[in-house]
Amino acid sequence: MSPEMLALLADSFVETIYMVGVSAFIATLLGIPLGIVLVTTGQGHILENTKLNAVLGAVVNATRSTPFIILMVAIIPVTRALAGTSIGTNAAIVPLSIAAIPFLGRIVEAAIREVDHGVIEAAQAMGASPLQIIRKVLIPEALPALVLGLTITVVSLIGYSAMAGAVGGGGLGDLAIRYGYQRFRPDIMLATVVILIATVQLVQSCGDRLARRLNKR
Amino acid sequence: MIELHGIEKEYRGAAGPIRALRGVDLAVAAGEIFGIIGKSGAGKSTLIRCINMLERPSAGRVLVDGRELTALSGRQLRAARKKIGMIFQHFNLLSCRTVFDNVAFPLELDGKSRREIEAEVAPLLELVGLTDRRGQYPAQLSGGQKQRVAIARALANNPKVLLCDEATSALDPQTTRSILELLKNINRKLRLTIVLITHEMPVIKEICDRVAVIEDGLIIEQGTVTDLFVRPQTATTRDFIRTIVNHDLPPGLAARAFSPLPQEGSSLMLRLSFLGGSAEEPVIARLIRKFDVDVNILFGNIDTIQDTPFGTLVVELAGEQAAVSGALNYLQAHELGIEVIGYVARNARAVG
Repeated sequence: MSPEMLALLADSFVETIYMVGVSAFIATLLGIPLGIVLVTTGQGHILENTKLNAVLGAVVNATRSTPFIILMVAIIPVTRALAGTSIGTNAAIVPLSIAAIPFLGRIVEAAIREVDHGVIEAAQAMGASPLQIIRKVLIPEALPALVLGLTITVVSLIGYSAMAGAVGGGGLGDLAIRYGYQRFRPDIMLATVVILIATVQLVQSCGDRLARRLNKR
Repeated sequence: MIELHGIEKEYRGAAGPIRALRGVDLAVAAGEIFGIIGKSGAGKSTLIRCINMLERPSAGRVLVDGRELTALSGRQLRAARKKIGMIFQHFNLLSCRTVFDNVAFPLELDGKSRREIEAEVAPLLELVGLTDRRGQYPAQLSGGQKQRVAIARALANNPKVLLCDEATSALDPQTTRSILELLKNINRKLRLTIVLITHEMPVIKEICDRVAVIEDGLIIEQGTVTDLFVRPQTATTRDFIRTIVNHDLPPGLAARAFSPLPQEGSSLMLRLSFLGGSAEEPVIARLIRKFDVDVNILFGNIDTIQDTPFGTLVVELAGEQAAVSGALNYLQAHELGIEVIGYVARNARAVG
């Protein structure tokens, strides 16, 4: 493989990491609160608000049921408004984040739901406010599960980011399509696939290890 | 210290409303250990949760230490709850926190500094005997140790009341005893009012001063523990007592035909309960010396309820009619619980 090709691979890899990193960051920032709200506004929970819960649930389901490639195209006006352009790595971050937020939200919801209700009750009996319960009970108790959920989200984002190539998003997926497929370069195709597999393996094992370390059960 | 007035609690169930509590009145004095015993589903869990308003009663008033909790706003209620400690059947410790940090939790909620927390947690760990476990996580502790951590945590805010929700039901008998001892100890040392719910009569017998029996959402009987043991009023209470004191007639005797009135050649069967001083008095010996009756002891048992001896005897008195009724009068003049089982024909007398 020529040095130019290697440079191209390296650039694409950095683009992928950038897209995934930024959208994972945004998804964490908004997805974790979303998941927490989905649980705590549920019936009988500490911030019960069944109407809000139903609306949020419906929005999450709508986003989750739209295939990513369709979502990406459908929200181009939003992307243009937020990123200033609908093409390129920065533009790809918008649909990636929008897809990842509800995805992570549901995973966080499941993780928080696993926290023993007795522990919440004990905190209430000690006079903890709902916010204190969220900060000092729900999040710390669910932390190992949250780390695993975040890991799954990052892995999914790596997969989605390859599709972003279809709208000129850049990254390894884009490279694989343009060079590997359209220019008949199986070596490029193989290289991107190998890099993607290695990245996912690394992310997953880091996540697993961290979750194990945090788990005191 | 605690007053409950007309507490009702209704849940919406799948098949219409479920009335868990149907008008409960209770008064718990400061410094006492008050037990609430009931079978599962009787409403005891709901009742104890009404005291700190984890369950909001559908009707009625809850007063703790002179404050009407049922009238407080959310914020005021949270402040009031800090003076009401609670421990649970399944301990409910935070699994991600060490022993020390679990006990520190209520202090953190109060916004105390790390230094204040250190100064307050150390004596609490000392009190429950877990000083050497401070850095361990709940998963590394036994059930009894977990409950000790929970007790230390519940005491961190210097509460006036401690609520115990089946606190020993998940523990083996030996550990149960040590936890009960600790509770009793705390009750004396800190003048802490304790309310506990349980379905185990030994727990009541071991540490409670007074007890209420709950059934079907209603308090059906209450009084001092010794009263309840000596003079149970309801079948449910007798059921509970039977779990630790044999209240049945010996087999073979129960099948006899008893008549309420004396008959020619019949003897009298009595069940005597002795309590405290009278258990130590030689009543039976004096009875035999004083009256011309034969006393046949068919069953006997002596137990202690919180250091007070408590005995039960089933005896048969045989002799002349006058002597037997004289003996009965003599017994009734003493501080005894007497239950006349009936007269039984002598030839059909059971072999004791």
